[in-house]
Amino acid sequence: MSEPLIRRLGELPAAEPDIRRTEHIRKRCHAHLARQRRRSLVSSLPPLGRRTTGERLAPVWQTGIAVLGFVYLAEVIRFALGVFSLT
Amino acid sequence: MNRETELTLVGRLRQGEADAFDEVYAAFNKPLFTFLIRLSRRRDVAEDLHEETWLRLVTHAGRLQADTRLGPWLFTVARNLHVSYRRSRALEESAAAGLTGLWPFSPRETSPFEETAANELERRIERALANLPTTSREVLLLVAVSGLDQSEVADICGITPSALRQRLHRARELLADALERDAVHPPVLEGAPPCPSR
Repeated sequence: MSEPLIRRLGELPAAEPDIRRTEHIRKRCHAHLARQRRRSLVSSLPPLGRRTTGERLAPVWQTGIAVLGFVYLAEVIRFALGVFSLT
Repeated sequence: MNRETELTLVGRLRQGEADAFDEVYAAFNKPLFTFLIRLSRRRDVAEDLHEETWLRLVTHAGRLQADTRLGPWLFTVARNLHVSYRRSRALEESAAAGLTGLWPFSPRETSPFEETAANELERRIERALANLPTTSREVLLLVAVSGLDQSEVADICGITPSALRQRLHRARELLADALERDAVHPPVLEGAPPCPSR
C-alpha cells in the first residue's frame, strides 16, 4: 500500500502563496540584492579617491622628520669628531 | 531545472543579479511554500518562514558555493527555520490539526486550491499527514511532495541515508495506519448535522 500512497502524496495539489505576499517578498529580496551590489561596488573602488587630508599629507611630514633626523645625526657625528680633535 | 542552468543561476546569484533571483523564485516559490504549509500546518507560520527563507538566500547569495544545489539549500533553510520555530514555540507534537487548521484560508474566499483539495481522498491524506509526528511528516513531504533525492533529503534532515530509509519506512507505515483508521472512523465534521442513528 505504501508505494501508491507515496505517489498519491506526490500528486497532492500545491499550496498557492498569496499573490501580494509573493510580490512583497520578491521586492524585498530585490532591494536586498541592490544594497549588496552597491556595497560591493563601493568596497571595490580604488582607495585613492577616499583618502583623507591626513593620509594625503603623511608622505610630506614623514620626509621632513627623516631629513631632520639625518641633520641631527650628522651634527652628532661632527661634534664627536670635534671632541676627539679629528677634524 | 537542469544542473547546468542551476550552476549558471548560482553564479549569477553570487553576483547579486535580480533576474537570476527571479528565475530561482519562480522555480521554487510554490514547492517551498507547499512544503512549509504542510509541515507547519499553519498558513501564517508558513508565510513567515517562507519569507525568511528567501531573505536568507539573498543575504547569503554572495557567499554561495559555486556548486550549490539550490533546491536542497532552500529546503534545508526552510526546514531549519521550522525547527527553530517549533523550539521557540514549544509546539505540541500531538496537537492535531483539523482541515481548517491545515489550510487556514479565509472561509469567505474559495481558492482554486481549496476546490481541488475538496477531493475526498486528498482530504483524507492531508488529514492523515497533518496528524503525523513532524519528523515523519517532513521526510514524507521532502521525498514524495518536493521530489528531492533521498540522499539530498538525508542531508537536509542531517541524518545518514540508512537512518532516512528507516524514518521513511516508519512514516509510510504511520500514514497508512492513519488512513485506515480514518476510513473506519471518519472524523465528525464541525457543524455537520447530527447523525440520524443517534
